[in-house]
Amino acid sequence: MALLEVDNLTMTFGSLVANRDVSFDVEAGTIVGLIGPNGAGKTTVFNCLAGMCKPTAGRIVFDGRDITRLPAWKISRLGIARTFQVVRPLKEMTVLENILVGAYLRQADSAKAMEIALRCLKTCFLEDDRDRPAGDLTIGNKKRLEVARALATGPKLLLLDEAVAGLTSTEVREMVALIRGLRDGGITILMVEHIMEAIMPIADKIVVLDGGIKIAEDRPAAVVENEAVIKAYFGEKFSQRLKAMQQAGAS
Amino acid sequence: MKTTRFQQRDLVWGILVLLLAVLPLIPGVIGNSFRAHVLIMVLLYASMAQSWNIVSGYAGQTSFGHSVFFGIGAYGAGMAVVTYGLTPWPGFLVGALLAAVVAVLISWPCFRLSGHYFAIATFAIVEIFNRLFMVWDWVGGALGLDYPILTDGWKNFVWSQTKVGFYYGALALFILIFGIVRWIETHRLGYYLRAVREGQETAESLGVNSTAVKLAAMAFSAFLAALCGGFFVQYNYRVDPPMVMSLEMSMKFVLITILGGLGNFWGPLLGAMILIPLQEYTRAYLTVLGSGVDLIIFGLIIVLMMIKQPGGIMGIVTDFGARRRRAGARPDTGV
Repeated sequence: MALLEVDNLTMTFGSLVANRDVSFDVEAGTIVGLIGPNGAGKTTVFNCLAGMCKPTAGRIVFDGRDITRLPAWKISRLGIARTFQVVRPLKEMTVLENILVGAYLRQADSAKAMEIALRCLKTCFLEDDRDRPAGDLTIGNKKRLEVARALATGPKLLLLDEAVAGLTSTEVREMVALIRGLRDGGITILMVEHIMEAIMPIADKIVVLDGGIKIAEDRPAAVVENEAVIKAYFGEKFSQRLKAMQQAGAS
Repeated sequence: MKTTRFQQRDLVWGILVLLLAVLPLIPGVIGNSFRAHVLIMVLLYASMAQSWNIVSGYAGQTSFGHSVFFGIGAYGAGMAVVTYGLTPWPGFLVGALLAAVVAVLISWPCFRLSGHYFAIATFAIVEIFNRLFMVWDWVGGALGLDYPILTDGWKNFVWSQTKVGFYYGALALFILIFGIVRWIETHRLGYYLRAVREGQETAESLGVNSTAVKLAAMAFSAFLAALCGGFFVQYNYRVDPPMVMSLEMSMKFVLITILGGLGNFWGPLLGAMILIPLQEYTRAYLTVLGSGVDLIIFGLIIVLMMIKQPGGIMGIVTDFGARRRRAGARPDTGV
């Protein structure tokens, strides 16, 4: 049984359908990428998983438990942590205090929570900024803080919403190494990402959404050759031209 | 580094408590004077503001209704003494518990909504409770409750001969409330309160049940505000609705904390140290100008503060400290 099972998830806002019948599984110990053009409904899927949106229809099963429509804080307690695409530091609290808020979820004792927080601070390379107000960080460090804070809640499944977008190429490499390290440490990861260089090398599986519908689900190498995916990303015309070019090259 | 800073602050706190405790032993500082009255009021109002600070400063849910909880506490003690002929102690406890219950009942529906509903609702309850107590004979109606003559001492919590007893009573209240807030600040609840203030959705994504956290803050806050009310009725030997349940009283909770520094441990004390002497001395010496002079000056100070430094006096102190640290750090960088 997979750690996370999304079953025919549908989310509508009035007449707007953000997701329709999206189904996929995330196996424990893997990295799964969720990609798709802008407006494909990736973040909505995340919001449903994390309890910030109540799905219109469908079922989400995590670790054998139905978590559909549970409030966000309960889902977090069950072991799903998320980061936000638009970073949300608790601005007037320091970096360490931000992480402590997460750490207190599993540990009410302040000294022990502090140990957890310091470990996550180190894992995410934020030691130099530990006593700075989180609102003053650079965008790269704010993204790291998002990860550190989510990590401090001791999740089984980590949802990363564009954790790499907006970072410099060095920072991207560091973040990718960090994500791989987390997976090796036993945390399952589901990530929304636009930057293919970041996601393709580390993902075990890629799920592609377009217009709120799942159009592909496969290994990274297979997904990039999937016709529906190419069409979604580059449009019908380019897709046909590409096919023609490939045929010409083959003959 | 963090731990040493905690220790430093605890040291400051310890020294302050010690100084306040030995203050009456210095002849001429307190005696049986107006100065003692002002000191007692500073301690009382600092405690009131600190109780408000829990829900409105740390948790960021602005309450204009704290005079109601203050009033319920005052009536708790007042009724224990006047109506039932007991000591005020059971009244302190019952009043505080009732205030916490009322606070939770009022805020529960509001906390589930976002926006300004909570502030508006707390505004409304002040009028409701004021009118209710005015016409409610069981609690003394508009006439209020007047204390009989009681023996001085801790048992009855009254001291008519000298103000030293009330001074220590106020100090005990001050230590209790500031101590509790100090504890909250360094433990899980304190971090959760601030997290809810800084971003409710973010806090929830980290497993914080924000409704429960806000309700807990409100209950604590109302409980402690009610204890202050209990002290107030003992000190005045009487209570009636306008004395305690009024918007003016509610605003004192708000203004003192804002002036001192919202969501800051020292804020309520600093605010009270400025506004209360101002209030008491203008009342005593500027009565020729009519009542309310203190409120005019209050208002001016708050307006200036909001424009120049929304962080209050603690904001000024922190800024000054940061500037000095930056200036001090420059030679070290060796640029």
